[in-house]
Order: sequence, then C-alpha cells, then structure tokens
Amino acid sequence: MTPAIDIPLKEPTISAAASDAEQLERARIDASTRVPVLMFYASAMVWLLIGTLLTFLVSFKTHSPDWFSEISFLTWGRLRPVLVNVMIYGWSSMAAMGTAIWLMARLCRTTLRHPLLIVTGTWFWNIGVLIGVIAILMGYNTGYEWLEFPPYVAVVLLVAYALIMSWAVLMFRFRRGEQIYITQWYLLGAFLWFPWLYAAAQAMLFVVPVQGVMQAAVGWWYSNNLLFLWLGAIALGTAYYMIPKVIGRPVYSYHLATIGFWTYVLFSSWTGMQRGVDGPFPAWMITASIAATILTIIPVATVGLNHHMTMQGYFPVMRYSPTLRFTVFGAMAYTVFSVVGILISLRSTARYLHFTQATVAYSQMGLYAFFTMIMFGSMYYIIPRLVGREWRYATLIKLHFWASAYGIGLMSLMFLVGGLVQGANEQDPTLPFIESASSVLPYLRGATLAAVLLMISHFIFAFHFGLMLFGLGRTATVPTFLNPVEAEGAEPHL
Amino acid sequence: MRGLAPLFLGLFGTFAFSWVGLTVIPNIQIGALNPQMDEEGTDVYPAPKSGMAQRGRRVYAANGCNYCHSQQVRPDYASADIDRKWGERRSAPRDYLFDRPVVLGQERMGPDLSNIGKRAPSEEEKPAAAPGTSPPAASPAAAQSAPPPNAAPAKPAANAQAASPAAAQSSPPPQNSAAQKPGAGGASPAAANPPAQAAAASPSPSPSASPNPNGIPPLYSEAWHYRHLYSPRSMSPDNVDSTMPAYKFLFEKQPIGGERSADALQLTGADAPPSGWEVVPTYDAKCLVAYLMSLDQSHPLKEVKNIGAAAPAAASSPAAAAASPGVAGSPPPAPPKK
Repeated sequence: MTPAIDIPLKEPTISAAASDAEQLERARIDASTRVPVLMFYASAMVWLLIGTLLTFLVSFKTHSPDWFSEISFLTWGRLRPVLVNVMIYGWSSMAAMGTAIWLMARLCRTTLRHPLLIVTGTWFWNIGVLIGVIAILMGYNTGYEWLEFPPYVAVVLLVAYALIMSWAVLMFRFRRGEQIYITQWYLLGAFLWFPWLYAAAQAMLFVVPVQGVMQAAVGWWYSNNLLFLWLGAIALGTAYYMIPKVIGRPVYSYHLATIGFWTYVLFSSWTGMQRGVDGPFPAWMITASIAATILTIIPVATVGLNHHMTMQGYFPVMRYSPTLRFTVFGAMAYTVFSVVGILISLRSTARYLHFTQATVAYSQMGLYAFFTMIMFGSMYYIIPRLVGREWRYATLIKLHFWASAYGIGLMSLMFLVGGLVQGANEQDPTLPFIESASSVLPYLRGATLAAVLLMISHFIFAFHFGLMLFGLGRTATVPTFLNPVEAEGAEPHL
Repeated sequence: MRGLAPLFLGLFGTFAFSWVGLTVIPNIQIGALNPQMDEEGTDVYPAPKSGMAQRGRRVYAANGCNYCHSQQVRPDYASADIDRKWGERRSAPRDYLFDRPVVLGQERMGPDLSNIGKRAPSEEEKPAAAPGTSPPAASPAAAQSAPPPNAAPAKPAANAQAASPAAAQSSPPPQNSAAQKPGAGGASPAAANPPAQAAAASPSPSPSASPNPNGIPPLYSEAWHYRHLYSPRSMSPDNVDSTMPAYKFLFEKQPIGGERSADALQLTGADAPPSGWEVVPTYDAKCLVAYLMSLDQSHPLKEVKNIGAAAPAAASSPAAAAASPGVAGSPPPAPPKK
C-alpha cells in the first residue's frame, strides 16, 4: 500500500480556521443531500418505531404465548420475521444509506446529483419493505432467515437500490481531490457488496435454487455478510469519519486502518457457517467459518486500537458530544460483539450455545449495540447540518443514550446468560426437554424489560427528530452539548 | 492511494473469494446429490414428499415454526440430540435432498423435529379407518366416546387393550401399543418392560406413566398433533409449561350438521366448543400435520454411522423393521454402485 505520507490524515477534520469558501462549499454539499438524506432518516425512523413496537410484542409473546395468538397475522411465528426484516431492511439499511450518501458527498467534496431520483428510490425501497411485511403477515414467508420477503420484493428493493446507489457511486466518480479516505473504502465496498450479495442469494435460492442444505448455507452466508459487509462496513466507515471529526484529530494510524479494512473484509466475509456447527454440512465449511471467526480478532484489534489511539486523551469529549458518545459506544460494542462471536462459535462452547438464545444475543449486539448506536451518533451529527438547527434538548439526548445503552446491555446479557442456562439444560438428556425451554423464561422476561427500555429510547429520539424535521430545533451557532458547563473549554467540533 | 484499480480489485476479489468459497464450491460438493438406493435400485431414500406434505412445509415456514424448532440431529460426540431420542443418527446433507425451503432451524425453544413422524405410534401404519387424516382411528378411546368429556380415566386402558389387536393385527405386538397408550401404562406388566420403540416414541418417561384423564391421543400421532396445535398446553403435565403458541387460526369452529365430522378434534375442558359445535382442522392444518408425520430420517445412510440402531435393544424395533425389512437390524447395506 501507499506510504502514510501520501495520505490526507487531516482530510475529514475541519480546521478551526476554515476559509469562507470551504464553508460555503460544505454548505452547498449539505444542501444537495438535504432532501434525500432526511427522507432516508425519516423513513428509517418510522420503521424503527414499528420495529421497536414489534420487538416488545415478540419479546412478550415468547414468555406469554397465548397473547393474541388467535389471529393469524399476530402469531409469534409471523411477527418475528416481520420484526427482523423491518429492522434490517427498514431501519438499518435506510439509516445506513442515508448516512453513507451524506458521508460520500462530504468526502468526495461534490454535490449530490439528481437528489430527486434518490428520493424516488427511497419510496421504492419503502414500498418494497411494506409489501414484504404484508406478505409475511399474510403467510408468504419464504422460510429463509433474513430473506423472508418474497422474491418479487427483492426485485423492487434492487431497483430502488440501483436508483439510489448509482448516484452515490457517481459522486465518487466526480470527486474532488486525489485522496481517498478510509471511510470511502468501507462505503464503496458496501455499495458494491450489497447488490451482489442480495442478488446472489436471491438467485441461488429462488431463480436457480440450490439443492437441499445448500439453501441453508447460502442463507447463512447471506445473513452474516449482510451484517458485516453491508451494515457493519457502513458503521465502521462512519466511525472512522465521526471520531476524528468530532475530536478534531487525525486517525492515529493509516496503516492500521488499511490492515483493519482488508482483514475485516477477508475474514468476516467467511463467517456464517458456524451457525451450522455439527449440522448436515461438510465439516470443512464449518471449520473454515469458525477459523474465519477467530481470525476476525485481527481486524477487531487493529480497528479498536486505531480508534482507541485516536481517542487517547480525548475521552472526556464523550461527556458533551452526543455524536462521539454514541459512536464510541458503538465502536466498543464492535469489539465486544466480535469477541462474543468468537466465543460462541468455538466448537466446545457451541455444543452448549448452539440452538439457544445466545445466538439471538449475538445478532442483537451486532445489529444494535454496534451498528445502530453508530447510526444514532451519525444522525446526531448530520441532521443539524441538514436542517440548519441544533438539537433542542440535551436531556432528551442523554435519556436516549442511557435508555439505549442499558436496554441493549440488558437484552444482550439476558439472552447470553439465558442461552447458557438453556443450552446446559438441553445438553443434559436426563432432564426433560421442557426444562431447557422453561429455564430460559425468566431471562426472556428480562429481555422484555429491555425491550421496554429500547422503546422508550426510540420514542424519545423520534420525538426529538420530529422537532428537528419541523424546524423546531434551536437556532444557535453552538452545537447542543450534553453537559454545557464543562463544554466551555472543549473544541466545538461536534 | 495510487489509482483505484487495486482498491476495486481488492473489494471485488475478497468478496468473490468468500462467495466462491462458501457457496459455489460447496454447491459443487453437495449440491447435486442423488437419493441412496440399494443394488436392485429399490429402497430409495429420501423420496420426494407428497403434495400435502409439501404444502405443509410451506405452512410450517409461513407460521415461523422453524424459529423455534430445529430439524437437524447433531452427532453423538457433539451433543445430546441422540440421547434425547431425536434421532438414531446424525443428519446428513442427503436427508434434505428434496427439501425446499430447507428449514434446518437455528434455535430450540421447542424440541427437534427431524424424526417426529418416525416417532409416531406405529399402529397408524394400518388404521382401520380411511387413510389420510383420521384422528379418531388414532385414538380408540376417543372414537368410542362421542361427547369429549366421556373419556373417563378408567376407560382408556380397557379401550386400548380391546382396540389394539383389532387395529394392529400384524407387526406391533399388543404390549407395544399398550405401552404407547399413555393411559394404559402403569400396572400393566407388558408396559413394565417396554421395548426400545416405546422409549423412542416418548423420550421422557413421564408422559407414558402419567394418568390420562383427558383422552389425550398417543404421543405424536396425527390426532395428538392436531390437538397440540390447537391447544399446546392442554396435553399432559409435561406440556403445561410449553411456550408454543396455539395455532387456533388453523382450525375452524363450525356447527355440527347431522353427524360429527370424522376429523373433528376431541377437546375437553376450556378448549371444548359449545355443544352442537365442533372444531375441525383447515386444509392448511391437515397439510401441516401431514408434513410433520412425514418427517423421518431414520433410514440408514451409508455415509453416516447409525448410533441409535447400534444399541442392542433398538435393533429390533418393529417399526424400523417394518419400514425397511432387512435393514434395521443388520449392518447398513453395501453402497450402491452409482
């Protein structure tokens, strides 16, 4: 790779004495992304609220199965895939695309062309997700996890994606400046991988269906790669942008970032098959995925070290910057999530944790503690720049953060510990099976409590977001600090 | 970065590596398997499922059964699956040859279902009534008592004894079916030394030992599945803690016109419909149960060691012997030529 001196480590940071021309340019870029990105965020928020209500419903029904079970579309087995798909395609993907487009425009220093086409794409995407949700509720679940939408919905989503992302990629074509920042690597990768991944999975499952257990293999390959190479890549790219930007300091090491990026792509794309441990697959597939999962410790260590060294000495900034607080939480959660992933995929632990709630904990940590928290952080940064107002209530941001942090912490803990108990009981053949399912119920009740916390946090955030959207934010030149008094001495880069 | 080519090649190449490595190459290896046959080309396994069972798989997926039930038996060295009598051997890719969608499952809030059809009582092989869906035939106690509450505690034992010779004159000996009728257990000397198959049919000892006041059909029979889908927590003391949702929307409540429908559910207590009404399964429910009854991975595969069948007692399991003569007790057949 290129020597570090070539690299514009300072590129994403605003120099304190930014010239007027530079600020004007940035304002122009932000103005061009305003409508589509807000459209993405607004759609994502609606899906998040739907998803959070479903989270509560699904969680509650796991321990109270007779609740609304007589209506076909409210049965647990239909609500759960709706929840998962709303969270992935509704909330996560739309928030990720919004953030990614904004970041791409900023980093390419070019305005977004044809924003209205992107808005059209957003509508298509929303309609696609809506059709898919209705189809699942009506009983047209395909039976493949994370791919429950009927194949015709995939066509709608791919068309929408083409409308959206072709312009994002074109921005890269029209970029100004020679340098490509690490965030752009992640974003470009995600833009390229998602359609390939989605189309390949659809083709192998529905167009030219593969035989027997290969369908499960394709499904797991898809869902893990969707988590890592689509959502995860955008989240990591966002963290690489936000952390240096907020604290006004370049990324610690470009070499570490390079190593982290390529090892991340290489290893995390090979995970997934550990979900079929000891199942009806050739052993080498499982072993390869377990090995790849273990090797993800390399990108985790390098990315984590890089962020840590960048933050070194600046951790107190987390006290007042909402963006930084959410983003750093997410970046740390990435480490925890990956380590948990390694631990539960080892054959010795998988014996107990396979088929238990621990696998749910793993997805939750990836989708929420890591990805969603970073997205929240980026939204706290980006939205004020789009609407020209600052967040109105620091208290609401704090409440949002703590409810989310405690909510996801509690939920992960409940599923992990519950899964351990469940698995230990399941592995003891002298106990009747029902012991194993019953023993996890107290933990599922705890998870419902966590779902309530998350619901509170999301409604607070949605309310705050609504205020911003309708121009009810603060008109101030200073960003909203979480702890205003202490922020006096801080660099105002939030 | 000097030029974009390396970056794009890298983005493209790494992902292509994973795609080829985890989906394309395995597909070459296990994506075109054939059913296993013996030398004469008979005894084909697996066979495609019937239309009803095929549709039942769709119902299974549509209602998310696969989020709580797995359909894969792990090997004995890695799990307690075989100890739990969920199967006699680990599952192999060939078992899922015709499955679409394949519903291996990721979680076990409910038990594994790979062999749930095999674990049904064997007297269903030749029921006296018409083939297909015949819940009354599956539970003699219920067939004779028209109003559901009539299934008094004392009756099932007598009924089972009376019914079993008639219902199953051929392979299963009387004590076999007696051991499977939960109500007939207890003092019967025949049930005191149950054959291995009885253990296979009811993994935990309690269901067969517990008294059966509600006329519960034999474990994993068709009638049992219908009732379990309709009211999962009404089945036995073992099931009161079940977290399975009821699937009442797969059933219809209708007034009895003339005489009772043959497939009406035998319900008691709070589940029982008002008099003059009956609860019948919809076609989807029948398909789902047909699918469940078709789940059976007991046929030996040459690539997998048969753990359960290797145990001495289980080797002469009547059902296995009846299903595939000359296979169950003996070593697996020689691999077919092609």
